[in-house]
Amino acid sequence: MPGPTTLERLYDEQAGPLFAFLLNFTRDEADTRDLLQDLFIKLAREPGRLAGVREERAFLMRLAHNAAVDLMRRRAARDRTRDALAAEQNPFAPADDPDEQVFRRELSVALGELPADQRAVVHLKLWEGLTFEEIATVLDLSPNTAASRYRYGLDKLRGRLRPLYEEIQ
Amino acid sequence: MNEFEQRLRRVPVKPIPAGWRAEILAAAVPARPATGRGSWAGRLNGRWHDLLWPHPKAWAGLAAAWLVILLLQVSQQEGTPARAAKFAPPSPEMLVELRQQQQMLVELLGPFELRDADRVRTVAPRTQRGLILMG
Repeated sequence: MPGPTTLERLYDEQAGPLFAFLLNFTRDEADTRDLLQDLFIKLAREPGRLAGVREERAFLMRLAHNAAVDLMRRRAARDRTRDALAAEQNPFAPADDPDEQVFRRELSVALGELPADQRAVVHLKLWEGLTFEEIATVLDLSPNTAASRYRYGLDKLRGRLRPLYEEIQ
Repeated sequence: MNEFEQRLRRVPVKPIPAGWRAEILAAAVPARPATGRGSWAGRLNGRWHDLLWPHPKAWAGLAAAWLVILLLQVSQQEGTPARAAKFAPPSPEMLVELRQQQQMLVELLGPFELRDADRVRTVAPRTQRGLILMG
């Protein structure tokens, strides 16, 4: 019977990556908190959900992604300006070096300009280190779709960040 | 993974705010089901959820479609003329017609009675014929 200890362990092991993913996906810290809290309430209410799950993180990422997509669909109907604001929410840690800080801010803006489905794939590939097969499982896609979305997203990031990237190099 | 991808990968993501842990767990822990029946129901619900996930609405729609097909099938079978005729009582006209046919058959055939020899042959096998004759 999963109890508070299990929930705490889950939080300690999974909440950080889930937070980063949700923040990059929603670009809103308040939404990210709500989604994360709802996810943990669901897990507490239905502990059987994790019974027999081998890849806890992938499973939780999938739950989180589905919840975030639902939230964004509801939001899209009444708040069209949110996409424009998305780029301003920086999902990266601040840097001491000013050049690096500029790079991170530009990367955040460039990521915010990507469609959410490409942004999700890019995040899971680069910052979670998942394979395309794993990404396909999390996002309920084919591996080929995941790979093509990654390539499209990365090409846009490269085009957007090339001047800055070359300058820093 | 090329150099550009490696460069992006090295950018650390923002850590989760430390204060969230206590708040989120405080909200989640009271939602835990009680032990016993509640936990069993929760496990069952979880199993169903895993089975139907990620398209529970699609599965529910499929189940509803099958239910409609089943109901239509049953209602059509009950409404067929052959089935209705099988269980319908005969009309008075049909009864009169049947009686007339029966009367006509009796008149055509006349009184009919089996002869004794025929009656024996039909009743007893060949091996017992002697016993019958003796009796």
